[in-house]
Amino acid sequence: MSILDSFTRIRLIAGTTFLEAVRQKFFNSLLIISIALVGSSTFFQQFDFGTGELKFITDFGFGALFFFGSILSITATTQLFFYEMENRTALTMLAKPVYKLEFLAGKFLGAHLLMLSFTFVITLVLSAILYWRDTALVARLGDEVILDGPLVRYGDVFLFGFLQWMKFGILAAMTLFVASFSNTNLYTIIVSFFLLIICQLQYIARDAYSGMEAGWERFLVLGLGLIFPNFQLFNIGDQLVFDVDQALPLSTVLQLVGYGVIYTVAFLLLAQVNFRRREI
Amino acid sequence: MNNPAIRIQNLTKDFSVGIRGVKLRAVDNLCLEVGDNEIFGLLGPNGSGKSTTIKIILGLLEASTGTCEIYGKPSKQVDARRSVGFLPEAPYFYRYLTGRELVRYYARICMVPRAQIGDAVDSVIELVGMTEAADRRVATYSKGMLQRIGLAQSLVHDPQLVMLDEPTAGVDPLGSAAIADIVRELKRRGKTVLLSSHLLAQIEGLCDRVAILHRGKLVREGRVADLVEEKDAESLVVEGLSAEGRAAVQAAIEAQGARLARVEKPRLSLDAYFLKEVHQRESEHAANNDSEGSN
Repeated sequence: MSILDSFTRIRLIAGTTFLEAVRQKFFNSLLIISIALVGSSTFFQQFDFGTGELKFITDFGFGALFFFGSILSITATTQLFFYEMENRTALTMLAKPVYKLEFLAGKFLGAHLLMLSFTFVITLVLSAILYWRDTALVARLGDEVILDGPLVRYGDVFLFGFLQWMKFGILAAMTLFVASFSNTNLYTIIVSFFLLIICQLQYIARDAYSGMEAGWERFLVLGLGLIFPNFQLFNIGDQLVFDVDQALPLSTVLQLVGYGVIYTVAFLLLAQVNFRRREI
Repeated sequence: MNNPAIRIQNLTKDFSVGIRGVKLRAVDNLCLEVGDNEIFGLLGPNGSGKSTTIKIILGLLEASTGTCEIYGKPSKQVDARRSVGFLPEAPYFYRYLTGRELVRYYARICMVPRAQIGDAVDSVIELVGMTEAADRRVATYSKGMLQRIGLAQSLVHDPQLVMLDEPTAGVDPLGSAAIADIVRELKRRGKTVLLSSHLLAQIEGLCDRVAILHRGKLVREGRVADLVEEKDAESLVVEGLSAEGRAAVQAAIEAQGARLARVEKPRLSLDAYFLKEVHQRESEHAANNDSEGSN
């Protein structure tokens, strides 16, 4: 069986997984709530100075993207995996000449495509609202301020969305890893949320590591810092969108993408190790 | 057997149960061969190890000890499953697809060449009698229709070995009879069929050979006729025999040194009676419709 055949099967499994996902009421409800929240951000505050308002909308939008995106990434991946297990469609699929890794990769890609749709829609809505307020502010301020560039770098709003999507990919892969040895939906969701919190706060361990003397404790903290990805690395929204003078170097973006891909692949391979032994 | 479809040797499967990992033996030193172009029944009560055996054959479970081969290839190799079609017990499919889309999807998963997919899909849908309902969504299918579309997806890549796990469970007698007819047609086309069931009456007239499992062990294996026939007895079915005639026959039998063991009324099985009645009503209904149409 060729590698091209493998990609075809992964694509087919990802396609049905994605279709299955977008039909779920949970996804549609969360998407509508997120759009509504991002859309209403402009009504939540009054600022006198224009860029402050834009900053608030951006933070609000990025916050909504992270919060709802994390919930969706964990719950959708869990549901899509256990849907196949509990309804035994996985049994029909794996009785075909399909490798278990192809099945897992298809499930992951389907969930990741779902997150791409979610991230794109939220980022698009956020950009539209920023543009609306940006235009209104510039018109209101008129000649009062001299602008040497745009208030918001819209391309970077999407770049931030892309980096968040990479982070959701790691989260989905970690969720699949938990699901590969878990027997229930609930256990998978709870453990995955704990992992999310650990990865969000992982920088604390790294800070502690830098202040430690050589010894087993330092080694342990270093190990933990390597096992759990540091999600704070992806939170560079302010630097991207408003730091007009100093745009984020391409090399940093590529490093972040590489970081995300390495952790995603590592967690998928770990999931495969468990899944191989799992009774279907 | 020279080149059996399935060869199982000393197969044992233990499951670890609970935190302490207590061993539960699901299959115990099973040895079995299924010949090519044969309908083979794997029989046994619930929990006897039928489904576990099927999953090991499909490579979905690893055996604790022993080996299992499909046409000479170790069954745990993914490549061995190219020649296998499988219908699970109570199959569940993507409900938003139509029957045709579902079969097409599995054809693509099985890497049926793109140019042949259309014909392959139409052919198996026709074989299972789902042509009229093929463009309806799977969500609207009855249990019997789900089984038949499940059979279609298992056959779409033209496998040499077809494995059916409880194919008639929960299906009415008409549906069961239709599935039995499809299985016979598969044998006629040269396929090997392994089916598991605990509904023995439905299997009896279908299988060439059966194996009976109990608590994971092979209890009996052989041709159905050899297993169930009373080897030292024969039955004569006669019509219109008077009481005197029967006495004369009995005397003649005793004169031969034999013994009339029992006299009983031949009976149809309830399944056969039900099918006969339903088919008769269906024929009458069709005839009435035809005559109304011509008037």
